[in-house]
Amino acid sequence: MQSLDQLKRRSVTPDWGASTALADVSGQTAIAGIGETPHTGASGRTTKAMALLAVERAIADAGLEPGDIDGLMVGFGIEDQLTPDDFRAHFQTGNPLWYNTQGGAMVWAATCMHTAAQAIAAGQATHVVNAFAVDWATRRTEGRLAHSEYHADEPMKAHFELPYGWFPQPVYFATFARRHMHEHGTTEAQLGALPVAFRRHANGHPDAVMKDRTLSLEDYLHRPYLASPFRVEDCCMISDGAGAFVITAAERARHLRHRPVIAEGVGHGRIHGAPYIAQQGDITSTPQVFSAPWAYAMAEVGPLDLDVIAVYDCFSMTALMQIEDLGFCGKGEGGSFVQDNRLHFDRPRQQGGIPCNTHGGFLSHAYTLGISHVIELVKQLRGTAPNQVRDAELAAYAGFTADEASTLILRRGDR
Amino acid sequence: MIADKLTDPVCGPFWRAAQERRLELCWCTQCDAAVWYPLAHCPRCAAPTTWRRLSGRASLHSWSEVLLPINPAFPEPYITALVVPEEALGTRLVTQLVDCAAADLRCDMPLAVCFRPLVGQEPDGCLAPVFKPA
Repeated sequence: MQSLDQLKRRSVTPDWGASTALADVSGQTAIAGIGETPHTGASGRTTKAMALLAVERAIADAGLEPGDIDGLMVGFGIEDQLTPDDFRAHFQTGNPLWYNTQGGAMVWAATCMHTAAQAIAAGQATHVVNAFAVDWATRRTEGRLAHSEYHADEPMKAHFELPYGWFPQPVYFATFARRHMHEHGTTEAQLGALPVAFRRHANGHPDAVMKDRTLSLEDYLHRPYLASPFRVEDCCMISDGAGAFVITAAERARHLRHRPVIAEGVGHGRIHGAPYIAQQGDITSTPQVFSAPWAYAMAEVGPLDLDVIAVYDCFSMTALMQIEDLGFCGKGEGGSFVQDNRLHFDRPRQQGGIPCNTHGGFLSHAYTLGISHVIELVKQLRGTAPNQVRDAELAAYAGFTADEASTLILRRGDR
Repeated sequence: MIADKLTDPVCGPFWRAAQERRLELCWCTQCDAAVWYPLAHCPRCAAPTTWRRLSGRASLHSWSEVLLPINPAFPEPYITALVVPEEALGTRLVTQLVDCAAADLRCDMPLAVCFRPLVGQEPDGCLAPVFKPA
């Protein structure tokens, strides 16, 4: 096991942010079960009902019973996530649950593996379920989608950003995309390679919201701007759905139903001056530059070892920048890198590609804020994904919240 | 939204200066550097901050033209931007661009401040620093 000093020495990063000093948990835990609900537009389903269905499926997928679960992780700050009482009432179990709200999706879909590893090592839990559900499509239809209020509630954003219409998120990252295009010569056709690749993956994925709608690069380039240089196709969908996965000790996972998927590396990083990304040192990069090196150091691998990745694609450009920041190419080279089908599931690393968002991502699968990204990687490493990458053994999830990013490196375990 | 941006103890000086057509930024006189967003004390040296008038010359760091309805409060099209004041190269002001077309814009071009009322802002007619090509 590497010390924090060793990990820090091996994780050199730029000076406008910092890596979080996460203890080495390499190889300690595994994902043993996965479950999802259908992903849809406005459905009238509640977050709790969706989360419970995903949890039920994840527990069954692991070959466990609800009474075996003694840990529950969810996200904070997203409406109506599961509580221990919800779990016990639904499953009619009375056992104590270790409960932690540093889980769910976004950056926490990666860092939950670190948090759970420490809880499991400390004997606080044996089988932990991490769950996330979102009903924003329903909320939007009913006129109660509240997540933009974050901007109005933050005093500096309210004073100096909101009055100028520099919100919501598409406008932030359209501005960043424009700068990336200016500094690095990235073109709209290069940016369009991401939504087109992800749509192709969704067209081959039975659970994707966009499974029946094709998108060619020509179609993309003919679409109108939403906030230039972004089109609607560059932006995440809003959908209803939930996902969950069961985390347990790697050794324990070997005796459960499926081949385990082992957490080999976890990283997390944040910009200085968070949450004010308008002042971020380099707006052509993401805080993934502070997260990925730590995860690689912990896992003792590099980007060229990865077979498949799932990148937080709230916008096409945030995925492109994170592909650079994960080290697949140099800063500014992402535009040319993502061309030539390099992100497609059937262009493996042996052919110079890196299959990315093989379920379709937020742009075309569903906007479940990252939990489905991790679940897709588990399917890839089990060899059961709809768009299966041949012989996938090593995968990475890149999580993102604008001012923070995270990295989770997963390996196909032995039976 | 801010109840009264002119009287806010931390941010009010920016808006009060704008009513008199001055662009002012929070400044640390010890470090001789901008403190943005404003704070009562410098985060580097802890000295009390003051406000400093800027020339209004700036460069265009980046921009986006909003063309489809995304903000109920803001009728599109409008151009929102990040600009860098010439006296504070590590600082970006979020702003809008006026008196220009998107086709005329390129990053790093020179800009000059001007003062306009912004749509939907309280108090009614409150002037805000915005920028136009220099």
